[in-house]
Amino acid sequence: MAGADRGPGALDRPALRDGAAIKRFREYYRQFEELAPEQVSRELRERSAAVKRHALSRVDPLDLSGTGWYEPPHPEAVNAATFALRGALNAYPDASATAVREALAERHGLAPDQVALGHGAGELLRAACSALLRDSGDALVGWPGWQPLPELIEAAGGCALPVPPMTTEILAHLGPATRAVLLSSPADPTGAVLARRALRELCARVPEQVIVVVDEALGEFEPEGEDAAGLVAELPNLLVVRSFSKAHALAGLRAGAALGPAALMARLPPGGGISSPAQAAVLWAVSERGREIAARRRAAAAAAHERLAAALAGSPLSALPATVPFAWISSAAEDGPAIAARLASQQVFVAPGRLWGDERHVRAALRGAAAVDRLARALLT
Amino acid sequence: MTVPRNDPTDTGGLFIGRRPGTGPVRYRTPPERGGERRRRTDSLLAVAVLVAELLVVLSAFGPQPVGWLWAGSQVDFRTGSVFLGITVAFLGLLASVIFTLMLATRLDHLWRLLRRAAGHDQREGVLGRIFVTAAVVSAIAFTVWLVLIEGPGPSIAPR
Repeated sequence: MAGADRGPGALDRPALRDGAAIKRFREYYRQFEELAPEQVSRELRERSAAVKRHALSRVDPLDLSGTGWYEPPHPEAVNAATFALRGALNAYPDASATAVREALAERHGLAPDQVALGHGAGELLRAACSALLRDSGDALVGWPGWQPLPELIEAAGGCALPVPPMTTEILAHLGPATRAVLLSSPADPTGAVLARRALRELCARVPEQVIVVVDEALGEFEPEGEDAAGLVAELPNLLVVRSFSKAHALAGLRAGAALGPAALMARLPPGGGISSPAQAAVLWAVSERGREIAARRRAAAAAAHERLAAALAGSPLSALPATVPFAWISSAAEDGPAIAARLASQQVFVAPGRLWGDERHVRAALRGAAAVDRLARALLT
Repeated sequence: MTVPRNDPTDTGGLFIGRRPGTGPVRYRTPPERGGERRRRTDSLLAVAVLVAELLVVLSAFGPQPVGWLWAGSQVDFRTGSVFLGITVAFLGLLASVIFTLMLATRLDHLWRLLRRAAGHDQREGVLGRIFVTAAVVSAIAFTVWLVLIEGPGPSIAPR
């Protein structure tokens, strides 16, 4: 028991002879010596420097796989939504969203009953597919386009037929069972924009029972006056769906708008309408101020494209010219998966083109000058 | 925003920092303490070292000056030089006081180690307090000796 209680540093008679016990005895008491303040400071400095070195050596991952605007919503949009949230949380929202529909109708030169609001462009497209296909029928999908479109058509009971988004190709694939043509403009992932002339021609030449649906979720990135929404007033078989999740970065509010024939519009909105905060934010987005902010972001996206193009000039890499906040990138020297893998090895993550059945391209979001520069460096490395 | 400078932590009054001088003792490695018996022994040794430290410090206020005055008087007696006697007494006292302080500092260090080994969170030594206590005790003792026992000096003492 006594031996067990001796503890470390206890004197051991046999070991006393060779001095080891004395050394151990002294070491036992030395362990209770405190570090001098300067030693503590030195250690703290070294630890701080090590943390700093680690922080500097770490490369944060850069997610460029999305398509939405990379900045938060404009503070005025947030203020509008917050004001509505505080004032009317106990009241049901205006199910018909009269004020918002009137504002949208005025902007696009339509009657208010030609406007419907829903929980995002995706939900409105789902509702449109259900209304148009009625558990049967074909729908031509301009491809590449918004990735979930074929799924929405299949879910509505229709059959999705991908076609190149060109008038001649679409007209060539029209059949007796075709009920709708779904196109994206600007297209995700390419950023290609449908020309108004081509859209007029298409709407004029499709059969009477066919509705042309244009997914214009990224429509705010098109110059004013060149969007498909402006054609709804003159083309009775055109349905345009727009989103407030992209240019206005209001994805969390789930708000979208559909513009088209009044009879069809009546079948698209959700039962209770969209929430009061969403209506308030959309009302702001439709206002002159909201359009001014969207125009600024459109200009910033165009500048980002120019920046990327300048950086890639002279290399085998190229990006399709566009005004959307992402680029459709390909290389003459390697395929899409190789580009994506190379970027991923540098902590830059993009959407591979194989999601659209394309093995040559990748889609990369353009998230401001610094991110574009890093993307360009990673591409050229 | 300006913050009053009466905040001891200098943290803007948030008290998220530690007050100066209240930090824990930092060891090179976490000490491995002995058993209960070992800690009791260390505690007793700490008391013994404290007593020794007190005696060493007290000696600087009485025995050492007296001893060096005696040594100086002996030098004066044997050489007939008052200057040499005073010099020896003064330098000797200075040297012995410095030596005493060095010894007391080491004893204080040893006392801290023993206290920590005994399980106490002993952050500082006790030399300063011992020194002040010894000075006060010595001053009182000297005053008592001077006024009550020995009496005032010949110039003011009743003849």
